Amino acid sequence: MKLLRIILLLYLFIINACEEAIYKFDNVNDPFNMDLEPPALFFHPSEIKTFVNSNDSLEVYGYKLDSSAAAHLEIIYDYGSIIVDSVSPGPFFQNSNDPIEVVVEDGNKIHIYLYYLPDLMMDQNTGGTWSLAKIYFSTTNAAGTYGLEFGSNTKLRNAENDSVRINTFGIGSIHVQ
Amino acid sequence: MTKSVSLKTGNKMAVLKFEGWSISNPLASFLTEELRKTIRELDVFLVQDSGITNQVNIFLPRSEDYWACWDKKCAIDLGRRLKVNYVIAGNIQKKDEDNFLISGRLFSVDMEMLMNEFVVNSSGITDSLLLEMKKMAFNVSGLSIPDSIYAERSIIETEVEEKQKRQRIWGLQFPSIPNKVKALMMSTVLPGSGQIWAEKKYPGYSFMGIESALGISAWIAYKQYYSSWGDFESNYNAYQRGTDPRELLDLRPKVIKYAQETARYNAFMKNLRTIGFSIWVVNMIHAYLVTPGDDFFDGEYFFDVEYNNDENQFQLNLNF
Repeated sequence: MKLLRIILLLYLFIINACEEAIYKFDNVNDPFNMDLEPPALFFHPSEIKTFVNSNDSLEVYGYKLDSSAAAHLEIIYDYGSIIVDSVSPGPFFQNSNDPIEVVVEDGNKIHIYLYYLPDLMMDQNTGGTWSLAKIYFSTTNAAGTYGLEFGSNTKLRNAENDSVRINTFGIGSIHVQ
Repeated sequence: MTKSVSLKTGNKMAVLKFEGWSISNPLASFLTEELRKTIRELDVFLVQDSGITNQVNIFLPRSEDYWACWDKKCAIDLGRRLKVNYVIAGNIQKKDEDNFLISGRLFSVDMEMLMNEFVVNSSGITDSLLLEMKKMAFNVSGLSIPDSIYAERSIIETEVEEKQKRQRIWGLQFPSIPNKVKALMMSTVLPGSGQIWAEKKYPGYSFMGIESALGISAWIAYKQYYSSWGDFESNYNAYQRGTDPRELLDLRPKVIKYAQETARYNAFMKNLRTIGFSIWVVNMIHAYLVTPGDDFFDGEYFFDVEYNNDENQFQLNLNF
């Protein structure tokens, strides 16, 4: 009977084809699906759904950025409906030292200055796809959809103080219900 | 003056295996052994043991040259090799469904002559044949056949009828299948087995070996595929659930890599399947072509399925 089982298994093995790997890269958080031409800056997530009088956060993300030493992120938002609580630096400028961060609020704009703190090995980072900063915000009692975009002063510099090219700036939105 | 001359000869006898025409090899062996046993019991001849007699296998190579040691020259030559005084050679032919013709020849090795020739017709089944072989033993030994032997026959026939009746109740009287079809069926189930059964051993083992090698290759490819498939699934699931853009970018090439690997192993297995299937079909056709027709061949099954009345269940028999 064992022999019969083996032969039967062999038949099934021969007759049955293995499954083909079918995949689709359709994750909305995948930068490939965001219509961005790298190097780029974008908000992650690009659409936030939240509630009135609540707290949430979003990240300012760099996509395939070149090596950089400093960044000035100018973000335009709906002042009054969205309140920026705090900003913390992301891992983009992180090495053995924590990056230096300066945040300046200017009406409906927020200026985030980030500086790579050189160590004995490097005076700028290696670039890539990383979060530059995380913005914690809270909503008021005004429901609505509020846009987020990068201001024209947004720029990155390398260790030689040259501009780092950025092809695309993404936009974001916050839906408050 | 008259001088009397007498030739004294020994009583050592070798009974060569009877050739079976359209009866199975084990049955021919069994009937030959029964003849040996009966002649031995009659105590006229000193019958050589089958183990010694069969050391000289006259029937091989049977698949290429199917002949028996039927003529005087062969029998005497064989008798000398076996160091006996008498040789019995013969055959059992199946004429139709229930009729058998048993032919036997007694050769004197010392006198280099055919001493006697016996032809017995038997209508009946195996046990009737057995009786005829016993009767032949009496003929060979030059003794009259006792009446008691017929009483034995009636007992045997009753038992056989009972057995047949039981088989009919179960409806397990399998139709006779031509040898070529048997070999084809065997090679269909297990590549090469039909050829081995038909004593084309090298092609049989080659087919079996090739199919085994392909099977092992397919198994290794399947293991590799299975491993890649696992990696593909884990990475793709992580991609679908992921929210971090950086992680998603890292997962993309991994998903593509493992998907390509699974596709490659799958394609390899499909090729192996095509090759294996083609060789399988060739093996089936080859088994059909190389197996001798029914008139010339009746070997043992490489394997068969039969109903065992004693244990009341089907059983798979393998003969190596």
